[in-house]
Amino acid sequence: MSNMAVDIAGIRMKNPVMTASGTYGFGREYGEYFDLSLLGGIVVKGLTLKPREGNKPPRIAETPAGILNSVGLQNPGVEYFLENELPFLRKHDVAVIANIAGNTEEEYCAMTEKLGASVDGIELNISCPNVKEGGVAFGTRPESVYRITQRVKACCKVPLIVKLSPNVTDIREIALSAEEGGADALSLINTLLGMAIDIRTRRPILSNIVGGLSGPAVKPVAVRMVWQVAQAVKIPIIGMGGITTWEDAVEFILAGADAVSVGTANFGNPFAPVEIAGGLKAYLEANEIGAIGDIKGKVMI
Amino acid sequence: MVYKDCEIISNKEIAQGIYELCFVSAQIAEAAEPGQFVHVKIGKGLDPLLRRPISICKADAGQGVISLVYQVVGRGTKVLTEYGPGEVLDVMGPLGKGFPVIEGKCAVIGGGIGNAPLLELASRLRSCDAYLGFRSQGYKVEEFNACCSQVQLASDDGTTGAKGFVTALFDSLKQYDAVYTCGPKPMMRRVKEMCKRDGVKCYISVEERMGCGVGACLVCACKTQAADGSLHYSKACKDGPVFDAEEVMLDE
Ligand SMILES: Cc1cc2nc3c(=O)[nH]c(=O)nc-3n(C[C@H](O)[C@H](O)[C@H](O)COP(=O)(O)OP(=O)(O)OC[C@H]3O[C@@H](n4cnc5c(N)ncnc54)[C@H](O)[C@@H]3O)c2cc1C
Ligand SMILES: Cc1cc2nc3c(=O)[nH]c(=O)nc-3n(C[C@H](O)[C@H](O)[C@H](O)COP(=O)(O)O)c2cc1C
Ligand code: FES
Repeated sequence: MSNMAVDIAGIRMKNPVMTASGTYGFGREYGEYFDLSLLGGIVVKGLTLKPREGNKPPRIAETPAGILNSVGLQNPGVEYFLENELPFLRKHDVAVIANIAGNTEEEYCAMTEKLGASVDGIELNISCPNVKEGGVAFGTRPESVYRITQRVKACCKVPLIVKLSPNVTDIREIALSAEEGGADALSLINTLLGMAIDIRTRRPILSNIVGGLSGPAVKPVAVRMVWQVAQAVKIPIIGMGGITTWEDAVEFILAGADAVSVGTANFGNPFAPVEIAGGLKAYLEANEIGAIGDIKGKVMI
Repeated sequence: MVYKDCEIISNKEIAQGIYELCFVSAQIAEAAEPGQFVHVKIGKGLDPLLRRPISICKADAGQGVISLVYQVVGRGTKVLTEYGPGEVLDVMGPLGKGFPVIEGKCAVIGGGIGNAPLLELASRLRSCDAYLGFRSQGYKVEEFNACCSQVQLASDDGTTGAKGFVTALFDSLKQYDAVYTCGPKPMMRRVKEMCKRDGVKCYISVEERMGCGVGACLVCACKTQAADGSLHYSKACKDGPVFDAEEVMLDE
């Protein structure tokens, strides 16, 4: 029997498969298809201090093997989450990670304080390409990544995961700044900034003009970034970007991920994360690998 | 809610560029409410990646058969025409909030491919008139005839019924207890205005681009107004696709 359990900086999960922020709501919808306790962890929709309505539609464009989205962090706010969504998630045996986004460092800290120890971890979203203020502005300069990580860490009662943007020149530099700032773990990648134009109307498909690219199309970029970051830091890594099958998950783990997150693939197949967890287990057993950690970063260069 | 491969019985062109696809699913046929949709994965690979939302046109609970009527507009619907009897289609559904079935005298007002989602509804309403607008050739008209008290037709080029907009077929909607509409936005806007003017309850089925189709990703935003006048983005897939006309804005 291979051991599927992982410990990401103190967040213990029965398997390394999580669902990615923004693609999984607060778990309720997919919970109608299967028992959410089958997942290792759920990262909830990006939360802000106050409720947000998000961007004008259309908010999605399909591109070759990918999608562009410009939701713009529509969410009911952190207080609503604590009162109305978290109790539902807590009925399941699954790690719950709150993804948070703010316009100022103070907002990030206020949310972290409100969340306290009610969740198993906090994912600092400093990489959302779909909001004008904040978001990615914090995530693309090493100094600001260091600062915000340090400030949030100082008031964070649970493991702090910093989610990295791929829209940077050197992701290693950003990853190191987060680690130095006190991040307990890193997650990557958020979406890649992209654009699609309807040639008949000559207008952008998204009303926000640009949006974040996700899905299989981004996978090679994500694998490369996970590999580069794994070389640079010592803290655990949650890899994501286009993961659709268990083979994709193995690829991320070989590149250096400790756990994986499934996002866009849920839209095509609601059972994707469960099937990926099952496939990973079968793979470990077939290859007599004792634990997931045994293949972490074992790509042969 | 079902998520599985369903066997296709038929997939035929019923008007120019418009196809009817029937597949077997006792569970969906049993559960379906008029106005709900199914989310269909077209092709096996990564492209097209997203499912396509298609309304349930007819749900035959007795036979366990669902009928979809779709218009070929892009790559997904083009590939869908290539499916044949005996092949399977990967379907999730029934999804979303459908039309409330109201006692009393009702009208369905459809335009283009928007007529299709109104057929199951018309067949469940005790008293229903249908106003159907087409681009050119009509489809499913006999089936509306079979379940409606009165069917009036219009088309852009005069091939089917009167030449012109479907909304030109009536001056007033006062005689109805409820009106249901699905079709192009300008048409639905006009129907909404007329219902408001005539004090008639109105339900609208909207179309927005979708991702998950179940309410998890928030890409299918549709602007709605709450009772207190505040504006919000609702999920077309979960809170809709059918909304009370008072609630849905139709302005973007
Ligand atoms: C609730 C609902 C019910 C629908 N019911 C029907 C129906 O009964 N019959 C029918 O013919 N069509 C229906 N549509 C529209 C249908 O979903 C689109 O025509 C279809 O997705 C187009 O796919 P494509 O690949 O051929 O086009 P493409 O333009 O290549 O599609 C590209 C992307 O845009 C999306 N898209 C394009 N047009 C629309 C649209 N009008 N609405 C939503 N998404 C769109 C596609 O899903 C895809 O993600 C419905 C849409 C919704 C939201
Ligand atoms: C519709 C949608 C909404 C998203 N919302 C968020 C969000 O609120 N916060 C966040 O950190 N990432 C968000 N993401 C990014 C995903 O969590 C993930 O990083 C990215 O999609 C790559 O993974 P994937 O290719 O498996 O989807 C969103 C992605 C999508 C497709
Ligand atoms: S399509 Fe995902 S929430 Fe509606």
